[in-house]
Amino acid sequence: MPADIDAATMTVAAGMEDPTAVLSASDVSVSFGGLNALSNVSLSVPAGKIVGLIGPNGAGKTTMFNVLTGLQKTTSGRVRFMGADISSWPTHRRGRAGMARTFQRLALFTRMTVHDNLVASWESSHPGGVFGRRRSERIARVRAVMDLLNLWPLTDRLGGELSTGQGRMVELGRALCTDPRVLLLDEPGSGLDAKETAAFSDVLRMVVTGPDMPGILLVEHDMALVMEVCSSLTVLDFGKIIATGTPDEIRQDPTVRAAYLGDASVV
Amino acid sequence: MSAFWPFIVIGLFTGSVYGLSAMGVVLTYKTVGVFNLAYGAVAMFCAYTYWELHDHWHLSAWIAMPILFLVVAPIIGIALEALYRPLAGLSAEVLIVVSLGVLALLASLVPIIYGSQDRQLQAIFPIKTFVLGSHLHVGYDQMGTLLISLLMAGVLWALLRHTSFGTSTRAVVDNPDLADMIGIHGDNIRRAAWILSSVFAALVGILISPSQGLDINQLILVVIFAFAPAVLGFLYGLPAAYLGGLALGILGSILSKYSNSGTVANIEAALPYLAFFALLVLFGPRLKEVGAATRPLSVARTTSAAVGNAGRRASKFVVGVAGRRVGLDRRLAVGLAAFVLALMAPLAFHGLGLFIITGAMIYALIALTLVVLTGWAGQISLAQFAFVGVGAFTVGHLSGTHGEHFLFATLIGVLLAAPLGLIVGAASLRLSGLYLALATLAFALIMDQVVFNRVDVSRGITGITVPRPQFFGISFTGRASLYELVAIIFGLAAITAYALRNGPIGRRLHILRDSPLAASTLGVNLVVTKLIAFTICGMVAALGGALYGAWQQSITPFDFMWSASLQLLLVVVLGGRSNISGALLAGTTFGVLIIPGIPPDVTKAIQLTIAFGVIGLAQEPEGTVAMTKRQTNHVMAVMRPLPRRRSRRAGAAAAPAAVVVAGTTVAANGGPRVNGQDRRVAATIGAREGTNGHAG
Repeated sequence: MPADIDAATMTVAAGMEDPTAVLSASDVSVSFGGLNALSNVSLSVPAGKIVGLIGPNGAGKTTMFNVLTGLQKTTSGRVRFMGADISSWPTHRRGRAGMARTFQRLALFTRMTVHDNLVASWESSHPGGVFGRRRSERIARVRAVMDLLNLWPLTDRLGGELSTGQGRMVELGRALCTDPRVLLLDEPGSGLDAKETAAFSDVLRMVVTGPDMPGILLVEHDMALVMEVCSSLTVLDFGKIIATGTPDEIRQDPTVRAAYLGDASVV
Repeated sequence: MSAFWPFIVIGLFTGSVYGLSAMGVVLTYKTVGVFNLAYGAVAMFCAYTYWELHDHWHLSAWIAMPILFLVVAPIIGIALEALYRPLAGLSAEVLIVVSLGVLALLASLVPIIYGSQDRQLQAIFPIKTFVLGSHLHVGYDQMGTLLISLLMAGVLWALLRHTSFGTSTRAVVDNPDLADMIGIHGDNIRRAAWILSSVFAALVGILISPSQGLDINQLILVVIFAFAPAVLGFLYGLPAAYLGGLALGILGSILSKYSNSGTVANIEAALPYLAFFALLVLFGPRLKEVGAATRPLSVARTTSAAVGNAGRRASKFVVGVAGRRVGLDRRLAVGLAAFVLALMAPLAFHGLGLFIITGAMIYALIALTLVVLTGWAGQISLAQFAFVGVGAFTVGHLSGTHGEHFLFATLIGVLLAAPLGLIVGAASLRLSGLYLALATLAFALIMDQVVFNRVDVSRGITGITVPRPQFFGISFTGRASLYELVAIIFGLAAITAYALRNGPIGRRLHILRDSPLAASTLGVNLVVTKLIAFTICGMVAALGGALYGAWQQSITPFDFMWSASLQLLLVVVLGGRSNISGALLAGTTFGVLIIPGIPPDVTKAIQLTIAFGVIGLAQEPEGTVAMTKRQTNHVMAVMRPLPRRRSRRAGAAAAPAAVVVAGTTVAANGGPRVNGQDRRVAATIGAREGTNGHAG
């Protein structure tokens, strides 16, 4: 390991608690039958920072997301969120506590308008929302998110009629409406063209530096986007962490280069 | 032990038929992703065809059978394949609705083609027995059925295991898109599966019709017995389905040794459904929906279907651009006006007419619960009439037999429905989509067999007398006053539903339908939401049942048969499952069907129309309402004045420009829907807006 690795990265690599982390996983393992989808994966996401989780297809990135959101049971390992051990929490409880995610394959509410997608998201994540309480708060938040992501032109369009790029934005908006403390973004850049990707990375930076300072965990294949926005990276291959560090360190790492063989130019 | 052998032999005989049916169901489900609820109807149709050829046309069995197996059954198979091909990858909801439509179609075609008179059937095998071992008498028909089913099971197994057809089929089952890419013609494989499945159904039909009689409902029901072993087949393959069928047959037969009547007999009769329900709930989390599991394109397909709707949505948007609020208020105003008019109906209708309208309105109330549950929350229920029955029989007993107050009786009936709603809701925790629908079907059948058919519950065919209500000093014994009561209750329910629909509660139900996965990550407790939805809808259905009893004044188990729930779903789909007006249309259809003296031919024609309509409109959540709207929009579009020149400027405020934007960007995503002129405009818009042409 290079000598100039900072303390935070060291703790991450060692799987120890990082005091600044909003979300951390330690020694998470998942096996499907005989296949080890994840073995002893640890990572942590500090507030106001974008952490990248990268690796070739099938490395276990989406499985890790499912573990963090409670959709996938672990064989072993713990997940901590804002100081609490949430390993046994059901998905919706994590959502209410401030964990939001987007999906690799869009999961919009297809027969509802974009506006209703966001409103429903706010109502789902806030107590009393389903009874229509705290209406003014809701209106303000949805409006702010629509402004931030420039969703107004799509207000009355149905979720099912959006292009992928628009859909990714709406999913991000829907996640933001939950007032998240941590955002898990699963390949938000796939299906976006260069212009849309650029706009997306601007938005991400705006979100993390915003007033709530959520942490973001980003799974992404677009290396340019990852290298540009992430402050640290974790590289998975065959369910194991093969490297952690800053984008520059990862770029130099021979193991990572080997894992991405044939793709070396993008790293 | 020797006392059991005769029962085991009978069990093997019935079980082998279950096994055959189960294999046919598993075959199409695994290959095509369609759970063929109409499988029994195909068997029934083939049985009728065979007896028509054999008894009416006097063809010998050696000619009639080849015609059936080589011509009729394959044609049905090919027709079904053609029907389902464009639906591949669509939601379980659409596929279930279509298969129920097919069921209704075949069930309504049979009386039209073959008439509905009883027939004396000849046995296919000689009616003789031979002695096996020392004293075990075995009928030739039993032995023949067992051997034929074993032979067919073996042939099918060998076909799938040891031929290239089998390898290709397994490739298609595993990953249809990949199979296509390596040159396996998926459509041919699927067609072959449908043909094989239909041939199996035909075989089942002619094997069971001599013992079960030629009866439309009975034959459909017998095949539902096979759904439990089919579940085993989904998990462990065809041999498991066959063996499961045998085991179920033997178990049922042995139980029948101990029971002639009473609770054991009830349980024995309901055993296949109990097994079906238990297997579904037990293995629920391991059962994957084939459509969802093997079709990576399913999401894209669903989206494109939604885009199909989008064209219409866009035109609605156009209409609403100037004032969306006004549109909503107008709808409410129309509803309120209709309500007031409905309250005045006794001025125009008397006697029988009013009686029928009352019935239609009660039916609309029951249909409304299905609109909320299925159309809004996306939870398919094939058991709504089980709740109706609970409400009706409770009121019948308490208010009729025991003379309790009607309101008290109704309250108890509604409260009794709550735990039942929780049971179905609890099943929905472990199941979703297709398997949930099947579990509700099993629940309806269990209620039908174990509860409503009990003499102490329903007094059998004689039924229970329910008095008309009387409370707050008002007597509702007259037709007009009862009508007013029903109209007020339905009106309140409809207005409440309307008010909830566009509010937070409506949104909560809609996100449950559109993406439960996303909803749960946002913080929605799916468990609680589903339980509440099922329970409240069940309770309102039970209220409908109380009114139904008061309206009919005499109720029998036939009023609340499981098939009534299927019929309800069909008419609600037809009317529009996402609209309150869909419930009204369902009520109207029911009202027309109960008009006394209506010629049987008209009834048959209506049934046929419903079946065709359901198949045609399965993909359309708004049913006929959407169709009407589309036609109106076409007419309005023609009548609309041409856009003035200034509106061509890009300003978003100019409504006609917004029209073009909304209409064409959608069309651009929809691909084939775009005509030449639209595409040109779409290209311009796409260039201007950047992201739009980028279809997912």
